Parts: sequence; structure tokens; C-alpha cells
Amino acid sequence: MNQIAENPFFVLAISVDASRIEIEREATKLLGMLELDFAGAKSYATPLGPRPRTTESVRAAVAALRDPYQRLVAELWARHAPATTYVPVEPETSPDVSHDGARRALGWRP
Amino acid sequence: MAPPPLGPLYVGIDLGTTNSAAAVFDGERVSVVRNAQGATVTPSVVRIDKQGRTTVGTRARRFIEQDPTNTAAEFKRLMGTDRAIEFPAAATRKKPEELSAEILKALRQDIQDQLGVTVERAVISVPALFELPQSAATSEAARLAGFQRVELLQEPIASALAAGWSADDDGGGTWLVFDLGGGTFDASLLETRDGLLRVVGHDGDNFLGGRDFDWVITEHLAAQLSVVPSRKNAEHAGALRALRLAAEDAKIELSRGDRAQVTLAQPLVIDGQDVEVDLELSRATVERLCTPLVDRALEVCVRLLQANGLGPGKLAKLVLVGGPTVMPIVRQRVAARLEAPIAEGHDPMTLVAQGAALYAATASLDGRAAGVAPPTGCQVWLQYPAVSSDLTPHVVGKVIGPHGQGDLNATPSRIKLVRTDGTWSSPEATVAPDGTFVMSVTLLPRRACTFELVATHGGERIAVSPPAITIVQGLTIGDPPLSRTLGVALANGHVQTYLERGAPLPARRTFTHHTVETVARGSKDSVLRIPIVQGEMSQAHLCRLVGTLDIGGDVVTETVPTGSAVEVTIELDRGGRLAARALVPVINQVFEHVAHLLVPDAAPEALDASIRDLRRQLMDLRTDAFRHGLTHVIEKLDHLEARLSEAERDIDAAHGGDADAAQRARRALLDVDATMAEADLARKWPELEAEARSLAIAASSTVGLHGSDAERALLQEVLAAIDKARRDKDAAELERQMRLAQRLSSAAFNRTAEAWEWYFESAASEVSSATDLPRAHKLVTEGKQAVDRGDTESLRKIVKALWNLLPEDSESRKRGFDSGVR
Repeated sequence: MNQIAENPFFVLAISVDASRIEIEREATKLLGMLELDFAGAKSYATPLGPRPRTTESVRAAVAALRDPYQRLVAELWARHAPATTYVPVEPETSPDVSHDGARRALGWRP
Repeated sequence: MAPPPLGPLYVGIDLGTTNSAAAVFDGERVSVVRNAQGATVTPSVVRIDKQGRTTVGTRARRFIEQDPTNTAAEFKRLMGTDRAIEFPAAATRKKPEELSAEILKALRQDIQDQLGVTVERAVISVPALFELPQSAATSEAARLAGFQRVELLQEPIASALAAGWSADDDGGGTWLVFDLGGGTFDASLLETRDGLLRVVGHDGDNFLGGRDFDWVITEHLAAQLSVVPSRKNAEHAGALRALRLAAEDAKIELSRGDRAQVTLAQPLVIDGQDVEVDLELSRATVERLCTPLVDRALEVCVRLLQANGLGPGKLAKLVLVGGPTVMPIVRQRVAARLEAPIAEGHDPMTLVAQGAALYAATASLDGRAAGVAPPTGCQVWLQYPAVSSDLTPHVVGKVIGPHGQGDLNATPSRIKLVRTDGTWSSPEATVAPDGTFVMSVTLLPRRACTFELVATHGGERIAVSPPAITIVQGLTIGDPPLSRTLGVALANGHVQTYLERGAPLPARRTFTHHTVETVARGSKDSVLRIPIVQGEMSQAHLCRLVGTLDIGGDVVTETVPTGSAVEVTIELDRGGRLAARALVPVINQVFEHVAHLLVPDAAPEALDASIRDLRRQLMDLRTDAFRHGLTHVIEKLDHLEARLSEAERDIDAAHGGDADAAQRARRALLDVDATMAEADLARKWPELEAEARSLAIAASSTVGLHGSDAERALLQEVLAAIDKARRDKDAAELERQMRLAQRLSSAAFNRTAEAWEWYFESAASEVSSATDLPRAHKLVTEGKQAVDRGDTESLRKIVKALWNLLPEDSESRKRGFDSGVR
């Protein structure tokens, strides 16, 4: 859920193709707007509806996008975001899932 | 004294173990501040005489030999501990932060003397691996020195910022900052791209520095005396101190020459005998003695490079920082082993202070005391970066209203920025009805650009305050990253991570835990303990305890039953100051007092017991590794053997009253313990590999069936990483990737109704051991009904409530620092 609602690309309202400089520029602008209480800066759009934007979420977003691995993960989620709302499940094709051994292998409690 | 600067003045301070320095940046130029003696560095030494007068720096350093009991040095290494330093002549005791405050006061005065500016805000550098109590003590020192606001910056970031700022090219690439200070060693891997500096990773040794070089030389010299002084004997401390100062001077002399004479004017008094000191020391001897220490620092560098997938020869540049890096042996071995060119032209003694001053500008932390001139005209609040790597940053503003004598109705409707060199002007922006506006400006590369605000209403010019702004184009870095992961130790001995290493500061996070036992109202013995730990390991006992939030029975307004929710919030400000808060909704009370924010005391007896225990474990591991022919594990264990021998020497010194050595031994033992856990993991490699294989199959099946597209894509990456870790035989990485795969699978599996039925059956089978049997039985009954109804949501709540009633064993709780939450 957080990967979509708190996705750095949504928080900063930028495209997944944004360059590093564009990311920093938008983040600096948003931080300034939040500091000066700009009404339009206080929320951002996500596929799950609008979310509140804070200086902390902006800083966390820009820090995440500076890290290549975290950026890749964020890109994946942002690209696939609309599809995450529904995934067809066909349990009959999965005999392994009901197997206790598999669950233990996955480390589920107990 | 130079005339006071008209514009902003950014101040950076390197508060070092041996020496400290201050630098200022005026938007154009960085200058190092000279002290009253005209030197760019001030020894971090404080003396308090019998009249209670305090002397700092070079004047105090002169008394280290003459009056050692009233002269303190290297107190930075005790920052964050509760050790007070005695000054018997004045019959007073000072905490390390109080002594650091004296150094900061002296530097602050030097700035005032040289520039005529009273400084209230500054950036102070700290070692990258400083723990929270040490950072908190540094902030406290600044407060005591009269600073209104300070930000702490990690030393390697400061050095890289300074080295990068003056670099002619911005060719990018990865750099390594090799920062060997008086008491600490930091290795940081940094990357510059598009004018942005990013910390890729860092590692270090909080207790390796120039001081250790001095000690090995001192011990070598001591061994040649007619009566050999011992660090174990507190009565020999004076003789050793005098010998150490001579060793330090000889070391510096040998950076240039081949031979040095170590002669003391007065004989040393050891065990009541006069011992003459007249020895010769060669550069070759010093190099032989210091090589193991240089190699220890190099091992840290190689480990850091490996952790980031880099081999030697892949670095664009090496930046050497700190006094000991002037030694030829250090420069030669570092350049040879890491196969990279050393960046020349930087002063290793003041680079950190210069970087801190530049950072103060990027953080818009003007050091000058609050404004002098009252605003005139219409006031405008502006937000813009004081330093920007971007050539076209935004300026965001809000018109607040008219001030002074002007027409009260005259507020601007349009505004533009004009660069004062006259070659650029922004398009006019319209001021919105709420007074807000956004503009973009164009900067000149590597220059400070001043922009005049031109505001109009109906074509008429309106005076605004401020009338102009200045933005410097150059290398920047974002928010300071957290150097070590921070979390709460749980009753099961594991750690709930709150803030990951690298998280931008300030940061805040809240998690809900549940109590594992009842806190009875009025009972002093009944305490709910929430231990706060720092470290990268998932097991609490391998992390450092940095604070505890204790909720005692004497402060709760009602009894808090087992399984009650506790919402814990951990907050860190930009300076690394920690605040923790716990809300207990069942009694509607908030607790905020974090106790014991101190580096734990290291009693020599406790260290003796720890080292005995570690030696025994090491022997068991070694026997086992030999039996199974695990050569890579044996290599790891050999290295630990050497670390334990070093720690043993420090424990000897701790018995002789050396508190610093005791702290060093404590940390070394903690590191050995953590490495031993890794070696143990490597020993269990076949089991771990089999576990990874079955996990990969199970995770693929679960995520394939129940996961989202993104989860499937991520799992593919994790599985590839698992494969790589298996090929590399990297047990720690394999374990980390397995945890990720488990998390992805759990997220997918938990969406199914079947998952919660299965969890319920498992929890119900353990109900006889629940801490509150009647409640547990009631939950089991309700759970069965929920299963019959097919009510997954209720079942989920019931299962979670049941988990909270199942006990944690006492051994796990001990490992979790007696945590009272799960």
C-alpha cells in the first residue's frame, strides 16, 4: 500500500523519467511552497486518491530517488500502480500454497 | 580585523579529537579562521588552573606534560559517556561536552576577532559513525558555548563537499574519502553527478586514529627503557604521557626525515627511579610499527568497496583527510592498495571545517546574530536554495504586507527578478490573490548571483523587503543521512527498525507495539522498558543500546494489562538529537522521558568476562570450522583473534584507569560478537542454502498466485539477488535477501482468507502457554466462530490479539535488553 500511496514520484508529482536535477528542483520548490503555506502543495494525487504532503514526505521522497535501487523499486511501483488494485487469483492452480512445509519455508508464524 | 561582511556568513567547525578548526564561507570564498596565535588549527586541549581559570588550545597544550592532572586532551572520545574529568587544582569536574564547549567558545571568539561577527549558528562536524549519545553531547557542547542553533554534519561529507567544491572538473565518478583523524577513522564512498553529491556508503572504526599510531611508537620506546612503564599501572601514567608527547613529535619529524632523536630534558620517574630517555627512532621502524594500523584502515576501505560492488582501481579519486595522512607510509599504502590517484592541493587539517562552512550555506544557516536593519517597504517571504547545483532553481515567495512608512494599500501584483550583472531577467510573475508566486532563475556556473526583486502594482514600482537575494551555484548535498539504523529492541530479541541507515534527517516514525507483561499501578518494581538501539543487525544484542524509555508502575494512572497497545514515536532532528515518545491508549497517557542516553559504561571486570566468553565461543567455532574444512570461515576467525588480542591490551589499560581504552575495548568486543554471528552463519552455510532454495520455490508460488504485478517483478529481482549471494557464498547478504522474499510472500499470502485460518490454528495450538488464559480461550472461541462465518477481517484481529498473549522466553528478552514490548 505504502509503495503506491507514498511513492516518491507521486509525492513529488513528477514523471518516472524525471532527471536527477528535475527531482531536486521540484523537491526544493515543494519544500518552499510548504514552508510558505501554499494551499496547492499540501496534497498530492495517487491512484488511491489524494494524500497529504508534508516536508518530511518530500525529503524522504527525494532521498529515496537519489538511491538507484530505491528509485528502481519506486519506478516499478509507479509504472504498475493502476494494476495493483485488482489481481485475478486462481487458487486451484496452486497446490503448493496449502502445504505447511512451504509456509514454514517462508518463515510464517509460528 | 577585517570589516564585517555585508552578506551572509556561513560558519563551519571541525571539533576534532586532537585539533579543531573553524572556516567561513561568504558565498564566494571559503577562508580558514586563524586563532590568536595565527594558526589555522587549535589543539583540542583544555586546562583549568587552581584559580579556576580556563586556558584552551596551544597555551593549554604546553601544560600537558608540566601539569597533566589539570590539563585535559582527547575528551572527544568520551563524549556521550557519563565520565567527568577531574581538575584537582581547581577542585572541579567537567563533563566531556563542557570541555568541548570551551573549545567551541574559543573558535567562536576567533571568528569574532577576525571578522567582527558574533556567530550564533554554525555547522559542526562529527565522525560518520558517531552514535546518538555522542551527537547529542556535541549539540549540548554547542549550546553551552552560546550557539543558538547548530547542525551536525558527518566529517566525510564535509571533506568531500570541500574537495568537490574546488575541483576543476565535474567529471563525476566515485570517490573515497579516507579520513584518519586523531581518534577516529571514517571511509566514505561518494558519487558526484550533475553537481549533486551523494553518499553511496560509509564504514569506519570509531576507535582508530593518530593516537593509536602514537601509542604503538610509545610502547616501542617504553620497551627500550631501563625500567619499562606499563599501561596497566595507573602510577606510570605520567611517564607514559611524557613519552607519548615525545613519540608524537618524532612521528611528525619522521614524515620528512629518516631519523629522529627522542630525548627528554628531565628523566622520567618510574617506580621511584629516575629513567633517562635518549633514544633514536628511524622512519623504517615507525613505518613497521604503524603498518598494521594503516592496514586495519585499508581493510575497512576494501570492505566498503566490496559492499558496493567496487574493486580497487575503480575509484576516480582519493581524498585524504586528517593529520596522520601526512605520513608518507599512509599515502603510499593507501594509493597502492586502492589503486587510485590522491587528490592534491587540499589541506588535510582544515578540509573538514571548510566543508562544514559550505554545508552551512546549502542548509541556509547564516551564522550571524539575528538581523540588524528593520524591514522597509512591502515584506516578502522568500524560499530559495542559498546554494544550488541546479542552474535554474525555483524561487517561491509570499507577499506578507506593507511595512514602514509607505502606502498601506500598495502591495505588488507583479514581480520579477533581475540579475545584478544586468544580463538576465526573469519573466514577470503574477502574484496570486493569497500573495503567493513562483519563479525560476538562471544562475551562472560556479558563481554567486545576486538578484534584485522588482515589484510593481499598476506599472508603479513598489519597494520590497528583502530588496535582493543571492544564490550560489555549486556542488550540493541534501539532508544529512542517518549513519546507523535506529530501532526498538523487542522482547523476542529482535529489532523493529524505525529509521533505516541513510534516512534523511530530520525524521520521525511511529509503530504500535504490545506489552508482554502487566505494569501494575503503584508498583515501583513493575517497569515497561522500551529499549532504543542502533545498528545494522536484526538481533538486538548485536546492536548498541542508545536509550531507554521506561514506564514505571509509579507513573501510570491505571494498571496497564498485558497485550496493551503502546504507540512509540521516535524522532531525530537534523543534528541527530533523539526524542522518543510512547502513548498508551488504554490509560490515555503519554511518556516522553528517554533515560540513559549515554554510551554504556565499560567496567574493566565486565570487559574481562566478555572477552573470556568470546574466546570460548571463538574456540568452538574454530574447532567446528576445521572439522568441516571451511577455509573462508577460518580466515574470518583468524582476523577476530587479532582483534581480541588488541582488545585485551585495551582492557589492560582500562585496569590502569584509561577510560578511553575501556570504551574502545567495549566497542571492539561488540564488533567481534557481531562478526562472530556472521561467521556462525557462514558455518551453517549448507543449511542456509537449502533453506534459501525451498524459500525461493515457496515464494515464487505464493507471489505468483496472490501477488500484484509489482510484487512479482520485485520478487524476480530478489530471487536474482538470492542466486548471486549463493554464488558468492555471502551468508549475511543471503539472509537479508531471504528476509525480503519472505516479506513479499507474506504480503501476498496475507491477502487470502486461508492465511488467517492457518495462523489461527497455529496460535490456538499454543494457547495453554498464554499469559492471560481466560482471555486467550475467549479469543479462540470467537476465532472458531469467525472461521465458521468466513469473517476474515474479524479473524485477523483475533489472531493478532492471540499473538500478543503468547509469551516470549526469558533468554530472548535478555537479548532484547529486557524489552517489555513486542
